[in-house]
Amino acid sequence: MAGIEIINLEKSYQVENRKLPVLTGINLRIPERQITVVLGKSGCGKTTLLRLTGGLETADSGEIRYEGSHRTAFVFQEPRLMPWLNVKQNILFGLRGKEKKESGARADEIIRTVGLSGFEQAYPAQLSGGMKQRTALARALAYRPSFIMMDEPFAALDHFTREQMQRELLRVQKTEHCSILFVTHSIDEALLLGNKIVVIEKGKVKKEHVLEETGERNLLDEKFIGLKREIISDLNETEKQ
Amino acid sequence: MSRLKRLAPPAAGIAVLLLVWYLVCRMEIFNAYVLPSPGKVLDSFQKMLLSGEIFQDISISMARVLRGFFIAFVLAFVLGMMRAVFPAAGPYFEYLVQFFRNVPPLSLIPLLILWCGIGETTKTAIIVLASFFPMYLNIVKGFTGCDRKLLEVGEMFDYSRRELFFRIVLPYASADILVGMRIGLGYSWRAIIGAEMVAASTGLGHMILFAQQMSRTDKVIVGILVIGAVGCVTDRLFGLAIRKLLKGNYENGWN
Repeated sequence: MAGIEIINLEKSYQVENRKLPVLTGINLRIPERQITVVLGKSGCGKTTLLRLTGGLETADSGEIRYEGSHRTAFVFQEPRLMPWLNVKQNILFGLRGKEKKESGARADEIIRTVGLSGFEQAYPAQLSGGMKQRTALARALAYRPSFIMMDEPFAALDHFTREQMQRELLRVQKTEHCSILFVTHSIDEALLLGNKIVVIEKGKVKKEHVLEETGERNLLDEKFIGLKREIISDLNETEKQ
Repeated sequence: MSRLKRLAPPAAGIAVLLLVWYLVCRMEIFNAYVLPSPGKVLDSFQKMLLSGEIFQDISISMARVLRGFFIAFVLAFVLGMMRAVFPAAGPYFEYLVQFFRNVPPLSLIPLLILWCGIGETTKTAIIVLASFFPMYLNIVKGFTGCDRKLLEVGEMFDYSRRELFFRIVLPYASADILVGMRIGLGYSWRAIIGAEMVAASTGLGHMILFAQQMSRTDKVIVGILVIGAVGCVTDRLFGLAIRKLLKGNYENGWN
């Protein structure tokens, strides 16, 4: 099975001559074709973990082992679209040469999947926040990555747009069978999306939860309420220490 | 209707100015030599149009502006790009550029005349000096201000340095480059008039100075109006071109 194996990963930053440890020995398995959610408070190192895994930064020590083909795409907290390109051009931004020429039908399909049909020629400045974020998601999908890294992609959206985007992400993940590493600070979001939830605290993996449920989840179910309570107490516990 | 509504206020502003001008002349507050009437100015303008001399002056001044502007743009673009592509090269010329930026080009005229005579070279040099700096500053801003977050998008798609430059840095800088060119063009136009008033025997600047020496204040005013009008028209055309090139986006950069 192809996935990502993270072994004893460490990373620290230099801030004003002081060494600031961010990740202090992370061990983690990220399975393929599933959504793995990394959950934690602000500053716990979850974004750093994602950037290291996606290859945007290099670790101080430890290893990231990619099993099988290794091609990653990011969806950031901000859409990060090229303002001079229209929606379609932005979606094809990661493709080059032959890939780009042969992408026609697939690009149209992705545009339909993320619900942007009819907006292919629009420029980012003309789009709403949700539509921009959908374009960013489509750009990642069009790249045919083995993994999509998502860094709180819906944090800046309003409640209703966020719910809609979460539903769409689940649908897209099912149709495209992609593997996703999703970072968030929202417990509800983690419970809604994750096949596996990894709770990170102070640069270490605090706990892992595997959720078997497929199909739409009701967060008001006893099971999810109980799990939420557990995660909250896990996160609070470390604060008291 | 909307077109009429949009054009009415500026037209009214111009009409009021003309009316005041006309009334002041009519009441003979100033000597006709000091302030010729609108009728007199229009009359000389017509004569200059018919004889074609005004077109000759405009085309000569315009050709000088375009030549100097083009040279300045190429220089500013190359140096500005160096700042982005080879950041280490910056300190070698940055301080020199900053020094000359603070020297008004007109103060260099005596030296330029001494070195290059009163031919075209001097005028071209003055335009280059006047329009280089605003363009350079904007181009540098465009090239070095590229959003780190957009560059990261390129990195995630495994872009080479070349691809990063041509697909992200250059398009990102294009907005600032075009705005810089627009400002630079305005500066060139102002500088050429100054240069022609000091050392030239043709062009709009010279026409104004010559009219003054001949005590033809009406022609001086015609010259001023023509300079303003030509400047406005070229700036407007450039603005339209920018809007076309930066499709549906902002006029002053991407943010």
